[in-house]
Amino acid sequence: MALNVEALASQMLGAALPILKKGADDAEAFAKTEFTKIAQTIVAIGEQVAAGQINEKQAALLLDMQTSASRNVLLTLEGLALLAVEAAINAALDVVKGAVNGALGFALIA
Amino acid sequence: MPRSSLTRLTPKLRLRVAAVPLSFILMTAVLLGCHVKLIGDYDDAIDKGVTDLQQRSELYFAKLQSSPNTPFDQDFYDDVNSRLAVLKTRASSLPKNTILVEQISNLTSQFEKFEELDKTAKRPIAAGIVKAGESAIAVSVESILRLELALKRGIATPPN
Repeated sequence: MALNVEALASQMLGAALPILKKGADDAEAFAKTEFTKIAQTIVAIGEQVAAGQINEKQAALLLDMQTSASRNVLLTLEGLALLAVEAAINAALDVVKGAVNGALGFALIA
Repeated sequence: MPRSSLTRLTPKLRLRVAAVPLSFILMTAVLLGCHVKLIGDYDDAIDKGVTDLQQRSELYFAKLQSSPNTPFDQDFYDDVNSRLAVLKTRASSLPKNTILVEQISNLTSQFEKFEELDKTAKRPIAAGIVKAGESAIAVSVESILRLELALKRGIATPPN
């Protein structure tokens, strides 16, 4: 049985795309929630400095803490993206595994 | 290819250029005949360790908020620092885990900053300091646990 490149590519895309799309949607929702919290805290720090409740040195330290929090959100997004790509690639390979291995007569894709 | 050169390409050509790394990973996967692994596995000890750390720090923050005259507690920070060091060592020993190692470093830096704030702040400590510090640490902990949960489930799905 000959393998059809277009058919294989279409199957692989069909398996991978929904995973990538869902991964992107989930990452967006997570980022929105966490960055909103960080933004609210930054605004609150500014208000407290203006009200004289905390001094500038304390505000700078608190802002550094928010920066580290932002870094951790971005690192999670990076990890979620890797996970989504990993799942998409594996789904794309799985969906054509039978056809490819059957056509070749041996298990190229395990 | 520099970004400026990439933006001059037609959308169709840009898609082809962008698809090259993905094609390479796919080809490698096919040639290796195995499933692709781009990020480390879920680790129960990290999950529990970070959750435990959050519980301890939330307790300390709650104490500072309800009793703002609570004195600076060096023992709390010594305990937190040793737990973070253990978590970092464990994370570093696991394969494909650079993201987690970096996240724990950021969390450590946050606790160091808060320790300085707590140590130097006059009593009663301003509620704003505690709230802002707690919020930053909570975002970091949630970020770490969000990724661990996704790793546990195997795909990028949110908690229900």
